[in-house]
Amino acid sequence: MKFNKIKTIAILVATVISGNVFTQINIAEIVATGLTCSMCSNAINKQLYNLADVDSVSTDLNTNTFVVYLKKGNQLKPRVLKESIEKAGFFIGSLILFVPTDSLIPDSSNTILLNGSTFILLNEKPNKNDEEIKFKIYDKGYVTLKEYKKLLKSLNIPSYPLNNEDDYHIKFDIL
Amino acid sequence: MKLFLILALAFRMQDISAQELFVVTDPASNVPAGSLYVRLGQSLFKEQFKTGYNYHLMPEVTWGINKNFMVRISAFVSNRSNQLITEGGSFYAKYRFYSTDDLHRHFRMAAFGRYSFNNADIHQEQIEIMGHNTGFETGIVATQLIKKVALSSSFSFEKAFDNKPDYIFPTSQSDIATNYTLSLGRLMYPKKYTNYKQTSINTMVEFVGQTLKNNGKSYLDIVPSIQFIIHSQARIDVGYRQELYSSMLRSAPNGFYLNLEYTFFNVSK
Repeated sequence: MKFNKIKTIAILVATVISGNVFTQINIAEIVATGLTCSMCSNAINKQLYNLADVDSVSTDLNTNTFVVYLKKGNQLKPRVLKESIEKAGFFIGSLILFVPTDSLIPDSSNTILLNGSTFILLNEKPNKNDEEIKFKIYDKGYVTLKEYKKLLKSLNIPSYPLNNEDDYHIKFDIL
Repeated sequence: MKLFLILALAFRMQDISAQELFVVTDPASNVPAGSLYVRLGQSLFKEQFKTGYNYHLMPEVTWGINKNFMVRISAFVSNRSNQLITEGGSFYAKYRFYSTDDLHRHFRMAAFGRYSFNNADIHQEQIEIMGHNTGFETGIVATQLIKKVALSSSFSFEKAFDNKPDYIFPTSQSDIATNYTLSLGRLMYPKKYTNYKQTSINTMVEFVGQTLKNNGKSYLDIVPSIQFIIHSQARIDVGYRQELYSSMLRSAPNGFYLNLEYTFFNVSK
């Protein structure tokens, strides 16, 4: 009993000190656009596996959804995933990231700094006790061109049209 | 009219997945950046004016330099002089300059250029820098994927030179041509994908035409084909080319294609 308590405290201390456990993307769920064939899908699959931070990829060939499991302690920026899909010759239609809830603490201006990326919140972070939280990126190149054009008109956020490489406008999944 | 009917039919097949990995034409899409495609193209065409068949072997290597730019080198080997002889080679580059993609849908445009050399005898009015003439070709190609149907069309300008060192391009023939192609493709199997190891079967219909500038002579061919995709990485194409119409001299317009292709993904960053 006592040993367990000590163990728990030790783990907590270790995670706080190392920080790494809290600053990683666990899973990236990508829907790719512009393809129907398995060879095209395989090109994306191979590009993703080529990334050092990727542990495994599971694919639904019928919907072109790639669930990318990332290695522990990775510091992957979402931009790297986008470049990977585009190198295969295709585009991202939707990108949802699963991140440890504790790693996302918004500052006063509703912004989160993480691994050199700036996440600008388009909605409130939900107050849930889940270990993991997911959000979607709404920037150009992370949604379909049609969706981006619509957002450009409807979103009244000065940073949105700038398309800064490592600034991401995100919405949490409220469901 | 025939073309229109085929187009109309293609648009009705929207519940069937399509491919654009065409057999005799190239779509606006490029090979993935950093990947190498190795192809062994073969064709066996029946000679019109003598007995026998004209066999061509065309090894090709295609490399995706970046997401928009790819290059390809080809070698031309044929049995025209009764033994297999390497007669020439070709350099091809394609730049994708326009893309709008959506779920299971895209429209893309690319510009391409090719320079070929060949030392074989010039034996027909048709200008073909893929294995027969020295010359260059430049053009644009547009490819549309609507829901699940792929359609691709290209338009190009082609100019032939002398087949050095021995064969001068005949002054009586037109050395300039315009080429046009229209390709349709669809996936027959599987109806639903389960994994990358599944073999896919595609069928394609391609139309290839040429008009010579100086005398207005033309031809139009149809190329139906079947394609097997193995492990989402290798490709076998079997096609048949049939002349539909021609007003120019062609030595061997009808025959078979057999292409074998393998993809090496991510050979360079």
